[in-house]
Amino acid sequence: MASHFSGVLQLTDLDDFITPSQECVKPVKVEKKKGKSVAKIQIEDDGSYFQVNQDGGKQKLEKAKITLSDCLACSGCITSAESVLITQQSHEELLKVLHNNKASDTEQKVVVVSVSPQSRASIAAHFDLSSSEAGRRLTSFFKGLGVHYVFETSFSRTFSLLESQREFVERFQRKEQDSKVLPMLTSACPGWICYAEKTHGEFILPYVSTTRSPQQMMGSLVKGYFAEQQGLSPQQIYHVAVMPCFDKKLEASRSDFYLSEAETREVDCVITSGEVQKMLEEKNVSLNDVEPAPLDTVLSSVSGDEFLNHSGSGSGGYLHHVFTYAAKQLFGEEVKELTYKTLKNKDFQEVTLERDGVVLLCFASTYGFRNIQNLVQKLKRGKSPYHFVEVMACPSGCLNGGGQVKPSPAQNPKELLQKVEELYKAERLLSPEEDTHVAELYQSWLHGVGEEKAKELLHTHYHTVQKMTNGLAMKW
Amino acid sequence: MEEKALEVYDVIRSIRDPEKPNTLEELDVVTEKCVEVQELGDDEYLIIIKFSPTVPHCSLATLIGLCLQVKLQRCLPFKHKLEIYISEGTHSTEEDINKQINDKERVAAAMENPNLREIVEQCVTEPDD
Amino acid sequence: MKEALTPVQTLNAHPDSRCWFVSWSPTGTLLASCGGDKAIRIWGREGDSWICKTVLQDGHQRTVRRVAWSPCGKYLASASFDATTCIWKKKNDDFESLTVLEGHENEVKSVAWAPSGNLLATCSRDKSVWVWEVDEEDEYECVTVVNSHTQDVKHIVWHPNQELLASASYDNNVCIYKEEDDDWECKATLQGHTSTVWSLAFDATGQRLASCSDDRTVKIWKESPNESGQGDVSWKCVCTLSGYHRRTVYDISWCRLTGALATACGDDAVRVFKEDETADPEQPVFSLAAQVTKAHSQDVNCVTWNPKEAGLLASCSDDGDITIWRFQEED
Repeated sequence: MASHFSGVLQLTDLDDFITPSQECVKPVKVEKKKGKSVAKIQIEDDGSYFQVNQDGGKQKLEKAKITLSDCLACSGCITSAESVLITQQSHEELLKVLHNNKASDTEQKVVVVSVSPQSRASIAAHFDLSSSEAGRRLTSFFKGLGVHYVFETSFSRTFSLLESQREFVERFQRKEQDSKVLPMLTSACPGWICYAEKTHGEFILPYVSTTRSPQQMMGSLVKGYFAEQQGLSPQQIYHVAVMPCFDKKLEASRSDFYLSEAETREVDCVITSGEVQKMLEEKNVSLNDVEPAPLDTVLSSVSGDEFLNHSGSGSGGYLHHVFTYAAKQLFGEEVKELTYKTLKNKDFQEVTLERDGVVLLCFASTYGFRNIQNLVQKLKRGKSPYHFVEVMACPSGCLNGGGQVKPSPAQNPKELLQKVEELYKAERLLSPEEDTHVAELYQSWLHGVGEEKAKELLHTHYHTVQKMTNGLAMKW
Repeated sequence: MEEKALEVYDVIRSIRDPEKPNTLEELDVVTEKCVEVQELGDDEYLIIIKFSPTVPHCSLATLIGLCLQVKLQRCLPFKHKLEIYISEGTHSTEEDINKQINDKERVAAAMENPNLREIVEQCVTEPDD
Repeated sequence: MKEALTPVQTLNAHPDSRCWFVSWSPTGTLLASCGGDKAIRIWGREGDSWICKTVLQDGHQRTVRRVAWSPCGKYLASASFDATTCIWKKKNDDFESLTVLEGHENEVKSVAWAPSGNLLATCSRDKSVWVWEVDEEDEYECVTVVNSHTQDVKHIVWHPNQELLASASYDNNVCIYKEEDDDWECKATLQGHTSTVWSLAFDATGQRLASCSDDRTVKIWKESPNESGQGDVSWKCVCTLSGYHRRTVYDISWCRLTGALATACGDDAVRVFKEDETADPEQPVFSLAAQVTKAHSQDVNCVTWNPKEAGLLASCSDDGDITIWRFQEED
C-alpha cells in the first residue's frame, strides 16, 4: 500500500505501512484482576480472543482501540493512522451523514462543505473547466447530495493572511528582545507541523506562526460564527473541508481543534480533491454535465458568480502578503512586484527588500523535505538570514498536494501541475485588506482586531511530541 | 550433538518474557526440542532455535529474538553460528521477524539503544546474579 | 595456475569489539577502520608493517558503521548508528572534526563521495538515501532525499566516473539514481536477490555492478540500453555466483587494477574470483581463484582492494581484527 501522506510524513519514522490492529505497538494497560490466575488465551476462528480461566470459564477479551489522537501523540509511526483515518474521515463518512439525514426526521445535521481553491483548480483541470465554473458545479453537485451550504476557504484564508501579517510585524518589533521570534515560519501546512512537532519540537516550535490555517479558520467560522448566526449548536453542524492534502485530515483531528464543551470537532471530516472526484465517479456524474448553481455567500469570497483568490504562491500566498504588508508597515515601502530569486532549486526561493544596499527584509519559501532540512539545519547552526519563511511539505507546494486528482496514465504530471497552476492563477484577485465582509466580522464577531476573542479563535498552539522511550514499543 | 543442544537450552530457558514475570520455558516459548545443533567444523557448531510466541501477533516476538541473540552471544562457551526463527505457523508476520532477528547489524544497533538495552538486560540477567 | 591469498599482517584493530569496515585512502597509503567501539583508526605503513597512526574518538555516540575518503584524500566521512555523519579534515597527520550532518531519523549505514568530490551520499535504516552538496567553504547542503526503498538501506556506491548512484537494501533490491530536472530520481530497480543486499561494487569502467546478499549469492549486473531504445537504461543480471558462500555475503570489492572480485562472508572466509576473459561479455564466467576458509575467527564484514597496489587486500571481522592479504596471481 502506497502512502498518501506528504513526503515529509513519509520520511522520519512516520510511515511503516502498518495497520494498527496488527502492528501498532502502543502499549495498552491491562487491568489486572486479583488472584493467582494462570489463565490461557484462546483464539476463536473468527479471530476474537477469549481468556480461559482455571475453572474453565471463558471471558471475551476486549480489543484495544487506537484513535487518531493516540496516533498523533505517539512518536512511533504515522501511517498506522492512515487506516484509522479512512474509517474516521472519508467521503463515505460524509455520505453516511447525508444518508442519515434523509432516513430520519429527527437529529438532522446541517451539512456544510468548505472547498479549498487548490481543490477547485485541481478538479477544474480534470474536467477542463475554469476554476470558478468548477466551483459553481461542485456547489450544485454537493447540494444535490443533500449538503446545505457550500463555502470556500479563500474567505477564511483572508483571516489567516491578515493574522499572519500582524503576527509578523509584532514579532519583528520584538526581535531584539527575543531571539526566537524570527524567522517566523508559516504553519498552514500540517505535514510540516507534524514533522516539526515530532522531530524538532522544542527547538523549532517557537518560530512557528500561531495563526490558524485556512481550514481551521473555517472551522472557527462555521462552528462559531455561523452556528451562532443560524441558532444552531456546533454539534448540529457537520463540517466537511475539501483539501488538496491528506495531512489536513490529521490537522482536523488535533485536540486543539476539538470543542470539548460541544463535543465536536471544528472540522468533522476532510476529504481530498481526489476523493471528490471518486465521489463523482461513484455517482456516475461528470462535472461537465452538472448545471452550475448560485454560490453561497455567507462564508465565501465571491463577486457575483465568480470566486476571488489571493496573490502570490499557490500555497496561500503567505510570503507575498506578509512581505508587502511588512514593507509598508515597518519601512514605509510600497512594494508593487516581488522578485523571487531561485536558490538551490525551484522549491527554494528568496525575496528581499533593500534600501541603500542594506537588506531590510529577507523572506524565503522552502517547499519539500530537502529544503525543509536545509532550513532547519541553517537555523540550528545560527546561519539563517531569514525573517520569514513560507514552509510547505510538498515539492511545488499545495497545488501539487498528495490529495489532488491524480494524472491519467496518458497525462504528463508536470503538464497537469502547470495547468492546475494556470487555472488557479486565472481567478480574480482580492486583497485581504479590501474584503469588507471580513472587516465587518472582525468588528461584529471578534469585537475588533487583536482582541482576546480574535486571539483565541484565530490562533492555535503546538506541542512537542516526546521521543518514545518505551523499549517494549520501539521498532528496531 | 544432543549434549550441545542441552547446553544451549540451559542458557535460554531462564530468559524472562519482556512483559510477564515468567521465563520463556514456563511460557512454552522455548522447549528442549526447539534447539538443533549441527557440526560446522572442528569445535564449531551451527545452532538453530525455533521459538513459539505466545500469541500469533505478539508484538514482542522481535524482542524475544533479540534476547536469545544477546544471551547466547554472551554465554555460550563454544564457537558457533546462530540462526533464530519463529516456529512455523506461530506468528502472523513470521518472515519479517525472522529476517530482522537474524540481521546482525539491526541487532547490534538495537543493543545500542538504551531503552531496548535496558529491557533486554532485565530479561537475560539470571535472577540470582 | 597457482593463485593464493597469503596473510601479510593481522592487526587487532578494535579489541573486544567488532570491526565493521576498512577503507583505503585514494593513494593507497593509509587505511581507515571503524567499529563497535565508536572509534575510527587510521593505519599507515612503517617499514614492512602497518601501524596505527591516529585514533579518532568522540566523533560518534554509537557504532561507526562505515568510513569513506574523499577523492582528494583530504577528508574522511564517517557514518554512525547515532544517526549522524561526521566529516573530518586531514591536518598533517591528524584529523579534525569539521562538521556533523544531521537529518536521518536513525542509524546511518553508509556514506560515499562522488568521484568529483562535490557530492556526498548517505543512507539509513529510515529507508532514505540523501545526497549532500559541498561548497568551497566546506558547507554541506542536502540536495535530495529519495525514498525508493521500502526498508533499511544498507549501502551506497557511486559510479567510478559518472554522477550515478547505486544503493543496496534490506528490501532485496538495488536502486540506481540519477539527477533529473532539479532533483534525483530512481532510474532503475534491480530485482533478483531473494534476501537483503548487503553491498555493491562497480567495475573499473562502471558498466557492471556486483552485488552480494544474505541469499548467499553474488550477482553481476550489466548496463544495457533500454529495449525501447530511449530514456532510461536498464540493468540486467548477467551472472550469479552461487554455491560458493555458506552464509551471508557481507561485502564485495572489485579490483579496478586487476578485475579480481573479492568477497567477505559470514562463514569466516575471504574468497577471490577471477573472470574468464574468453567468455561472452553478455554471459561472463567467474571462477574461484583463491579462498581462505578461516580468514578470521568470526564473520568477515568487509574486503577491499588497495587502489594503487595490485593484489593488496584488506579484510576485517567481528573478531575485531584487520588482516592485510596479498593475492598472488601466478608464480
